[in-house]
Amino acid sequence: MYEQIASNRAKTVFIIIGFIIFITLVGFAIGYYLDWRYGISNNYSIILMIFALILAVIMSFSSYYYSDRIVLSLTGARPISREENPRVYYMVEGLSIAAGLPIPKIYVIGDKGMNAFATGRNPQKGVIVFTQGLLDNLNDEELKGVISHELSHIKNYDILLGTIVVVMVGMITIISNIIFRSLIFGGGSRRRSSKGSGGGILSLILIIVGILLILLSPIIATLIRLAISRNREFLADSTGALISRYPAGLANALKKISMHSEVKTASSATAHLFIANPIGEKSKVMFKSLFNTHPPTEERIRRLENMSLGVGIK
Amino acid sequence: MLTGVISLIAIIAGIIIILLFIGIGIYNLIVSLRNKVDNSWHQIDVQLRKRYDLIPNLVETVKGYAKHERETLQNVINARKLGIDAKTVKEQAKAENMITGTLKSLFALSENYPNLKADQHFLRLMEQLNGIESNIAYARQFYNDMVMKFNTRIQTFPGNIFARMFNFLSRDYFEIEEVSAREPVKVKF
Repeated sequence: MYEQIASNRAKTVFIIIGFIIFITLVGFAIGYYLDWRYGISNNYSIILMIFALILAVIMSFSSYYYSDRIVLSLTGARPISREENPRVYYMVEGLSIAAGLPIPKIYVIGDKGMNAFATGRNPQKGVIVFTQGLLDNLNDEELKGVISHELSHIKNYDILLGTIVVVMVGMITIISNIIFRSLIFGGGSRRRSSKGSGGGILSLILIIVGILLILLSPIIATLIRLAISRNREFLADSTGALISRYPAGLANALKKISMHSEVKTASSATAHLFIANPIGEKSKVMFKSLFNTHPPTEERIRRLENMSLGVGIK
Repeated sequence: MLTGVISLIAIIAGIIIILLFIGIGIYNLIVSLRNKVDNSWHQIDVQLRKRYDLIPNLVETVKGYAKHERETLQNVINARKLGIDAKTVKEQAKAENMITGTLKSLFALSENYPNLKADQHFLRLMEQLNGIESNIAYARQFYNDMVMKFNTRIQTFPGNIFARMFNFLSRDYFEIEEVSAREPVKVKF
């Protein structure tokens, strides 16, 4: 368990570093492009990036700050009280104590699909939502596995991380749009003739590569975002196993959930928050696994079964 | 020549400052881990106090139906007193295991009194006690996790240097003292 958690955390660091390097490369490409197109210095690329960053932060801030209320109203969830469902309440209370977190608010969606998600900008404002289908179909140990996984998302500040990543993707997208428009519409002097012909070919290649990089950057950034999302799902699985001390619970729950995880009120915007993909696995897209917010369920079950050393697996 | 000496002094000063900051960081980390251990112990305590508060209520309810079962009821009361008086982690752990044992006997006893088992008050108390019981288990798990983190930090390098300097001591785990608790439960008919 501890090794899994450590390796998952290390992978997060690697991916984030990769993301930062990628953004830096885009920054260089912008500087080079602006120099080529308008003959202006590198400082403008930094100004452009900061502008895009601020814009992206403003656009994302309210969705992060009010994340609990927004998601709850988007999905039509209603709160559960201790009297209404003592079984779930006592489980969430106990596991929160084991996780060292304040008890999150508990909500339910009246959907027959089996799924759950966690939100809230910090542990004090934590919220966990279950579908009725999940509560009805899982036994106690499986439900504890799911609760531990969701508590892990709150404990690991995955909602904050997700928002930061979305801001980065937004910033890249804004820049890419601006550059794209300037390519088509913008004026300005082209091609300074001060370089020799040898340098001319190389700089032409670099310009083309740079422009391609900038135009493709939203897709690349989205792929990185999805890679981070999958990595944090694995981390939530392993941290959850440490909280419940019973990885088989979540493994058995995933086996049941993967077959019935559709939630009608979910959309591609909220999909990454759920424990399993809430939009059906029916679409056959090439490289589907790269575009998935969640890692393949078989791989998640396999890792959990490794942690459990065979105890409790059905 | 003079500029060379000055830059050497500057570099050494820079290294010392960096080491100082690292040292402060390690010391603060150890202190905050120790505070997490203390806090998680108090979380166990919160659950234990809830149990101590419930027990007299439970004893009275049971007495109403089964006042001749003096010994079992007295065991519960005695174990509770032990728990309230406990001063160290080890004493607390021992008392807690005793309370759990006596409550188990009390519940087994209630099987013989169907009126007691049907009493709404009794049922609600048992539900609450079960909730507290499992919360105690989870709180112990978290406490032990924190103890492990803290002990590891002050036993490994470089934390052990700070531990010796500032006298940070390893903490005890909340263990099962009662040997019989580890043995499988015997069912007698």
